[in-house]
Amino acid sequence: MKLLKTRPSLVLLFSLLLVSIAGWGGAAEKDPQSVQVTIRSILAANKSDEFDAKLKGMEQQLKSLKYRSYRSLKDETKTVPWQGTQSFEIPGGRLLTVAPQEFQENRIALKVRLTEKDKPIVDTTVTIPNKGNFILGGPPHEGGALVLSISAATP
Amino acid sequence: MELSDWELVKQCQAGETSAFQELVSRYHQKVFMVSLGLLRNREDALDVAQETFFRAYRKINSFQGDSSFYTWIYRIAVNISIDAQRRQKRNPLEFRESMDGVLESQNEVAKDPFTDAHDRELREHLTQAINELTPEHKAVIVLRTLEGMSYKDIGQILGCSEGTVMSRLHYARKKLQDKLSVFL
Amino acid sequence: MTNCESNRESIGSWLDGELSPGESESVRLHLAGCAACSEVRRQLESLNLALKNQLTANAAEIEFLPFWRGVQQRINQKRPWHEEFLERCRELFSAPRMAWSVPAVIALVLALASIDFYLPGWRLGGPRNNFATVDSIDAHGRSVALLRENESKTTVIWLYQDQEGENEAAEDATKSGPAF
Repeated sequence: MKLLKTRPSLVLLFSLLLVSIAGWGGAAEKDPQSVQVTIRSILAANKSDEFDAKLKGMEQQLKSLKYRSYRSLKDETKTVPWQGTQSFEIPGGRLLTVAPQEFQENRIALKVRLTEKDKPIVDTTVTIPNKGNFILGGPPHEGGALVLSISAATP
Repeated sequence: MELSDWELVKQCQAGETSAFQELVSRYHQKVFMVSLGLLRNREDALDVAQETFFRAYRKINSFQGDSSFYTWIYRIAVNISIDAQRRQKRNPLEFRESMDGVLESQNEVAKDPFTDAHDRELREHLTQAINELTPEHKAVIVLRTLEGMSYKDIGQILGCSEGTVMSRLHYARKKLQDKLSVFL
Repeated sequence: MTNCESNRESIGSWLDGELSPGESESVRLHLAGCAACSEVRRQLESLNLALKNQLTANAAEIEFLPFWRGVQQRINQKRPWHEEFLERCRELFSAPRMAWSVPAVIALVLALASIDFYLPGWRLGGPRNNFATVDSIDAHGRSVALLRENESKTTVIWLYQDQEGENEAAEDATKSGPAF
């Protein structure tokens, strides 16, 4: 307590230090060099009532699709530079290409293309929150439907 | 046997007003002199000195003996005096003349050690120079010069480090020296 | 800084007896051999004497009893409520306490901003806003549904197969497709 009363300069120094940390952290966030993109391939079907434990964190998102069972097929994470592209192999002979476009106000704009046998199925540009995701689903697979969770985060 | 300050404080905390009266009798003159040194006005200094002991009475239960009683009471007095200085609107030179008049009429003025013109001029310039110091610089000058307090005690009273006391004293004395070099 | 400059800064503290024995001896030796600094010392001693005389000149003895009666009067007098309130506020919001509130607030803001980093997914008051914005979409002739699921705050792009269908399994899947 004596220190608090006799060292106002220490208080000022501590405040400046905290502000610098905040500024440094903020600056680091504003200038990310690349994006980590994660694609989760999931099989949604109505043949059983199984829910894959690996998908626990996505339970609420997936159950909203109203299928009875969900099974994780493949998880893949790649680092993609801004304006660069990266392709992910998707079960069923498909390919997902992701190109991060822009980072603004902690949101990431992604250009996404899903192709099957070299034919484009869908092209879309989606802006998601940093560390957030969106779902792209519907292509048939193994008696059910393929569900892709596409997420992106700055390191 | 005379009780120590701390023993008197404990008696006050137990509700004995006579113990507080004893503490006031021990320190009222010193507190008044410090206030007078800071405010340069007798009425204000008396007011501040009484207010100091009033506030000390109200806060007596919060005194835990972390410092000596006299540094604690001086801290209260200096803080009130600094606040009062900031509110003071009177011209110090004009007021000093009227203060002398009041003292003389009450026959309370001490024997003036400055008898010749040179000393009178030094006194006037010194008063002006002291009043031009900030309240914080005036406080270190008064506490050191009037009370002969150590830098450590002054630091405890003003809530600053010994280094700060040293640099404030150096600055204040340099300012006074520069203004009064002709007379020194 | 020259030797004289550094010593002159210490003369006041030396006269006050606040230097260590080593520092004190160093100043004493310097003063013994430097006329300019000795003059500074003389001036400082003269100033200290003038200050003491000035500060004690008007401080005559004050009688204790009238003083004590003044203090008693203040103790017994009930203060207006607003004066009491102001004094409590002054004590509560003293400069040292207020000074520490600044870094405390900064630290709190940083901590709140970092919650997501250390506890990803944790949110005060419910799931984070995960809604995506679909800026453009081209399903190349296929039917597509764009949906937002409120509970999980998720954006779903659902591709429907063509009417003709490409295989029977696809028909089964789409028939029991998402029921939003």
